[in-house]
Amino acid sequence: MEPTSMTSEGSARRAFLGRTAAGIGGIALAAMLGEDNSSAVEPSPSPRRTTRGLHFAPKAKRIIFILQAGGVSQFETFDHKPKLTELHGQPMPESLTNGQRLAQIRGKKLIVCGSPYKFKKYGQSGAELSELMPFTGTIADDICIVRTATTEAINHDPAVTFMQCGNQQPGRPTMGAWLSYGLASENRDLPSFVVLASGMNQGQNLHTRYWGSGFLPSEHQGVRFRSGKDPVFFVSNPQGVSRAARRRVLDGIRALNQLKHEEVGDPAITARIAAYEMAYRMQRSVPELTDISDEPQHVLDMYGPEVSQPGSAARCCLLARRLAERDVRFIQLYHRGWDQHGNLPNDLQRQCRQTDQPSAALVKDLKRRGLLDDTLVIWGTEFGRTPMLQGQYKPKSYGRDHHMLCFSMWMAGGGIKPGITIGESDEFGYQPLNHPVHIHDLHATWLHLLGIDHEKLTYRFQGRDFRLTDVQGKLLKDVMA
Amino acid sequence: MLNASQRRFTFFISLPLIVLSTFATTTMLSAEQNPTVDVDFNRDIRPILAQHCYACHGPDAKQRKADLRLDDRAVAIKVGAIQPGDTGASELVQRINHEDPEERMPPASTERSLSVDEKQKLTQWIAQGATYSQHWAFVAPKRPQLPRQRKAKWSSNPIDAFVLARLQREGLKPSPEADRSTLLRRATFDLTGLPPSPAELVAFQADRSPQAYEKVVDRLFASPRFGERMAQHWLDLARYADSDGYHDDTKRAMWPYRDYVIRSFNRNKPFDQFTREQIAGDQIPNATLEQITGSAFHRNGPTSSEGGANPEEYRVKYAVDRVNTTASVWLGLTLQCTECHDHKYDPFTQKEFYQLFAFFDQVPGNTLHRGFFAPPSKPVPSLSQANKLAKLDHRITTITAQLDGSNAGLESEQKKLIQERASLQKQRKVIEKAFPRLRIMQDAPKRIPTYILVRGDFRRRGGQVQPGVPAILPPFPTATSPRLALASWLVDPKNPLPARVTVNRFWAMIFGAGIVRTPNDFGSRGDWPTHQELLDWLAVEFIESGWDVKHLLKLIVTSSTYRQSSAVGPDLLKRDPTNRLLARGPRFRLPAEMVRDNALFVSGMLHEEIGGRSIKPYQPAGLWREMSYGQGKKYVQDHGPSLYRRGVYMFWKRSILNPSYSIFDAPTREDCEVQRSRTNTALHALVLLNDVTFVEAARVFAERIITQGGRLTDERVDYAYGRALSRRPSKKEHALLADIFKDMLEHYRKHPDAAKQVVTAGEWPATKGVDPVEHAAWTSVAQVILNLDETITKE
Repeated sequence: MEPTSMTSEGSARRAFLGRTAAGIGGIALAAMLGEDNSSAVEPSPSPRRTTRGLHFAPKAKRIIFILQAGGVSQFETFDHKPKLTELHGQPMPESLTNGQRLAQIRGKKLIVCGSPYKFKKYGQSGAELSELMPFTGTIADDICIVRTATTEAINHDPAVTFMQCGNQQPGRPTMGAWLSYGLASENRDLPSFVVLASGMNQGQNLHTRYWGSGFLPSEHQGVRFRSGKDPVFFVSNPQGVSRAARRRVLDGIRALNQLKHEEVGDPAITARIAAYEMAYRMQRSVPELTDISDEPQHVLDMYGPEVSQPGSAARCCLLARRLAERDVRFIQLYHRGWDQHGNLPNDLQRQCRQTDQPSAALVKDLKRRGLLDDTLVIWGTEFGRTPMLQGQYKPKSYGRDHHMLCFSMWMAGGGIKPGITIGESDEFGYQPLNHPVHIHDLHATWLHLLGIDHEKLTYRFQGRDFRLTDVQGKLLKDVMA
Repeated sequence: MLNASQRRFTFFISLPLIVLSTFATTTMLSAEQNPTVDVDFNRDIRPILAQHCYACHGPDAKQRKADLRLDDRAVAIKVGAIQPGDTGASELVQRINHEDPEERMPPASTERSLSVDEKQKLTQWIAQGATYSQHWAFVAPKRPQLPRQRKAKWSSNPIDAFVLARLQREGLKPSPEADRSTLLRRATFDLTGLPPSPAELVAFQADRSPQAYEKVVDRLFASPRFGERMAQHWLDLARYADSDGYHDDTKRAMWPYRDYVIRSFNRNKPFDQFTREQIAGDQIPNATLEQITGSAFHRNGPTSSEGGANPEEYRVKYAVDRVNTTASVWLGLTLQCTECHDHKYDPFTQKEFYQLFAFFDQVPGNTLHRGFFAPPSKPVPSLSQANKLAKLDHRITTITAQLDGSNAGLESEQKKLIQERASLQKQRKVIEKAFPRLRIMQDAPKRIPTYILVRGDFRRRGGQVQPGVPAILPPFPTATSPRLALASWLVDPKNPLPARVTVNRFWAMIFGAGIVRTPNDFGSRGDWPTHQELLDWLAVEFIESGWDVKHLLKLIVTSSTYRQSSAVGPDLLKRDPTNRLLARGPRFRLPAEMVRDNALFVSGMLHEEIGGRSIKPYQPAGLWREMSYGQGKKYVQDHGPSLYRRGVYMFWKRSILNPSYSIFDAPTREDCEVQRSRTNTALHALVLLNDVTFVEAARVFAERIITQGGRLTDERVDYAYGRALSRRPSKKEHALLADIFKDMLEHYRKHPDAAKQVVTAGEWPATKGVDPVEHAAWTSVAQVILNLDETITKE
C-alpha cells in the first residue's frame, strides 16, 4: 500500500511547530485492524468483504445486541401464565419435569410459582407485557417478541458462551467476531465490533471470551468501551503529552518505519504505519463518540434519568445509537444482574427500571433517525427462569432457578417483522407449544439479515470448516419482514 | 459441547463450499509441485478425496452413502467406483465428469465441485493404478538421505541440504547471511526472549574466530533466561493460568508447575522424560516431588464452581479437555469431533476417543471445588520456601547431631540448643503451611467405568470402554498404570507423530511457521509439509539424540537457513509471500511477553528473578472490578521490583487478561493454544504509546540516555539506537531522530509544566538532577524508538 497524499516530513514538522497538526495526510487504509502479512503468516483466508452483503443483499447493515446477562425471568416480563398463579404453591406436574435438567433446585421439591405482576396488552399488535415493562409497551408495534427461545446450557458461563458462539465450549469465535471477519468495517476510525457493559456489581463475571475471536485471527475480537476517562484501553495520551506533541512523535515513527521498509521490504511495516495512523484517528473518534454533550435534552430524557451516569444501561443504549450512526458493525451490550434465585421482586424491579426505558428509547431513537430500518436490535438473555419456585415464597422475596427449555426475547428493525409475537409456551411456560426457536436458528436468521448465508461463512481450523451455527440453524421465516 | 448439535446433521450443511481453503491450497500447490510429475496419492489425491468425498464416502459409517468408501481401496474397487488402470470402467471417473448435474459428483446440493485440475489428477491416478498409501504422518519417520546439492558450501548442517536442494529445484537462491548484529539479536530473542546487551554485541563483533557464532549460541543456551523463554511457549500448550476459567474464575496456585517447566528446559530435560512427567508424573514408580509437579500439566485446564452445575458434566468436560490437549500437543491430531461422532476425514472413531478419554477420567474428588481447594492437590514449596527449609533443616540436623554427640556440653547449653531446635521446627511448620497447594493428577484407587457418551452428552451412556489408543497408531501395551504406559507410548520411536509434531512446533517458534503449517493438524486435511524430508530427518535426529531439545534448537539456529537475512525484494515477496521455501530468514513481530520484556530490558528496569507467585503489574484501574464479582474484583497491584519482572510471570486471569497482553494476541488459555495469532492493529500503537508500562519505559530509557549516553545529542542518539536496536543509526535515521529531539525540546521549553508531567510516569524512582524539559524531550525520542517496527520485531 502506497501512502498517497502524506505530507512531507518537512511540512509535518512545520505543521507541528505551528501547532496546527492539520493535514495529517489521508493514508489510504485498507481496514482498521490489519493482519500481519510478515513472513511466515499465511494470507488471511478472509472471504473478502463487500458492503453489499457477502452472499446476498442485506436487510440490516449492523447489529445491536443487548444481552441481559443472568437469565431474565420470562414469567414476570413477557410470558403471561395465569395457570401458574392458579396453581401457585402446588407441586409441579412430574410429567413435565421428569428427566429434565435442573440446576440449583435439583433434588428439591418442585413447587409452582405464579407471578404477582399484572400483564396488559400494548399497541395495535396487542403484545402482552407485564407492568414492569411499560416503556417496552410503547414500542410493542415495532418489535417482534419471541416467547419460545430455547438453549442447550443450564449454567451461565456455558449458556452465554453458547449464545455468543453457538457452542458451550470456550474457543469458538463470537458472533461479532464472525461479522468482523465476514464483512467490511464501514468506519475507518472505529473498530467493527464494540462492546459496552452495564450493571457493574450485579452478578456474574463477564469474560473477555464473550467477545473473543476464538480461532479467528484476534484482530476480530470485540473492543470493549469502558465508562471512565479511557473508553478504549490506552486511548488517552499520557499526562503532559498534547495531541500536537503526539503527532510529532508519530511522524518520527512513520518516517523511521518507512526507511526500514525501504531496506527490508516487509509489508508488515506498511501495515504498521497504517495502524499507527488509525490509532491517532481513534484518539479523536473515540472521545467524540463517548462525549454526549452534543445530545439535546429531549433525547437524553428519552433514555431516562440514569443516562447521566456513565456505565449505566441508559448511557450504553445511547452510546449504542451513536455507534450505529457511525456504522459500527456489531455493537454488543451487556447488562448484568438478572440472576434472581431469590429476592426476585426487588431485584427484577431494579433490573427493569434500569433497562426498560433505555431499551425502548434506543428503538425509538433509531427509528426517528431512519436507522432502525438497517439496524437489527436484539434484546435477549442466555436462558430463562423456572416456573418452579426457588426458596421460600413471599410476595416480596422469592426466586426462580435457571431454565433453558423456553424463554423470551425480542428483536426489532433490520428486516424483522414488527408488531408480532412468535411462539407459545405450554400453560406452565415449561416448554414451547409451537415455534421452538433454537439459538442456532436465531444465529442463522441474524446472519441472513446481514446478507450472509450462515452455511457459507466458514473458517478452516484444525482441518474442519467451522461456522457460527455448527451443523445446524434454520431460517426463521416468520420473524422476517 | 457438540453433543445435541449433531442431531440434525446432514452432509450438505456440514460441509459448505470452502471458499477459504481453496485459496490456501492453491497457493500451497503452486509452490509445491510440478503438474507433469506422477500423481502421488498422499500429496495429490487424498486432499481431494478428503475435501470433497469422504464426508459421504469415508470413515464415518453413519454418514456413508451407497456403501462406498473411497478411503478404502478394496471397498472402492468392489463397489465399482475404481477399476485400477481402467478409467473407462471406473464409475468415479464417469460420475465426476457426468453431464447430468443430478448424476455428477460431488452432488450440486453440496455446493462443491471439482476443478479441471482435480478431475485430471483423479483420472491420472486411476490410470496409473490407483495406488493408495498410508497418510504420510501415520507412518513412522525414517531418516532420509541427504539430498545431493550443488554449491554445498552454503550448507552448515543437514537442515541446509534439504532447504538448498528445494531452492535449487525452484530456481531460487538463499539470501545472504544476516549481518552480525541482526543475527545476534535474532538468536538472543529466540533463545532467551530478550535482546542482546550492547556489551554482548561488542564481544560478538570482536570475535573473529570461526566459532564465534556457535559460542554465542552456547552462551544463550546456558542462560537461565532460556527456560523462561521456552516456558512462555509451553505454557500456552499446557493452558497454564492463575485462575479457574469458568464462572467466577477464582484464583488458583499453579505457579509451582510454571517454575518446574522453566527448570526443566534449563536443565535440558529430555523431552521423552518431560512427556512422561506431563502425562503421568504421579504414576512414575517412587515419583519425586518434581515428577508429581509435572503431572499438574493435566490439572491446568479450566474448572467450574458454579452453583447448580452438574459435577458429572464437568468431570466429563475436564477429561475431554485432557484428551484434546494431549492429541494437539503430542499427536498433532484434531480429535475434538470424535467426542460426538466418527472423524470425517481421518481414521478415528468415536470409540477411540473414549478409549483415550478412559486414561484421563479417573481423577477422584469433587469436580466443582474452586481455586486452591480443588482435589487432588499437593503442597509444593516455592524456590524461596525450599531454600529457607533447606537452611532450617541444615541447622536442625546440626543441633540434633550435637545433642546426640558424646560431647553434648553443659546442661544449660543443651537446653538452649533444644529451645532453638524447637523454635526452628516451629518456623518450619509455618513455612510448610504457606506452601501453595498445587493441583496434581491422580487416579482413583478403583477404576471408574468409562462409557462412550452418545453425541458427547454426559447423560447418554453407550458401551463401556477400556483405555486404548487409535488403531491406526502403534499398538498399546497392557499396563498396570495405564496413564504412564500412555506416556511411554507417546514417546515410543515407533509412534509416527510425537517427534514430528514436537520438532515442527519448535521450528514454528523460530521461523514463525511450521514445516507443517497446521501445527495442530497432521491429519489428511492438514497442510502438506513444505519440506517433508527435512521434517522427518529432524524428527529422527531428535529421537536419536535422546529427545535433546537444546541439540535440536542448536541445529536449527546454527543452520545457514536460519542465518539468512530476512530482507526481501519485491520479486521474492511475490513468488513466496509467506516464506514457505525459506529463501530468506524469519522476520515477525515479537509475542506479547517479549514486547514487554524488551521495553523493560532496554530501559534498564528489568528485574530478573526466577519463579514464585505470579506478578500483578500495572493495569487499567478498576478493570477487575468492572467485570468480576466476589473476591475476583480486587486487583492488588504490585510495587517495587515485581513491577519489572518478565512477562512469563504475569498473573494469568483467564476471564480478563492484562489488556496489553490480549491486544498483542496472548491467548486466554482456556484451551490448549498451539499457535497464537499474529495481528498488526491500531490497538498495538495505543499500548506502546500510552500504557504506563511503556510510557515509564520510555521515561526511564530517556534518563539512561541522558546520564549514560554521553553529552552531545549525536552521541546520545547513537547510544539510544544501539541500546534498543543493537546497531548504529544510518545517517538518515540519525538526522530524523536529532530533528525530533530538537523539535520536542523546543516544544517542552514552551510547556515546562507538561514536561514535568511527562517525566513522572510510573513508579520507578526518578534520577535526581535531570532537567525535566530535556528529559521530556528525550522521552519523546525514546518513545519513538520503542515504537519502531524494528524494535518489536525479530528480524
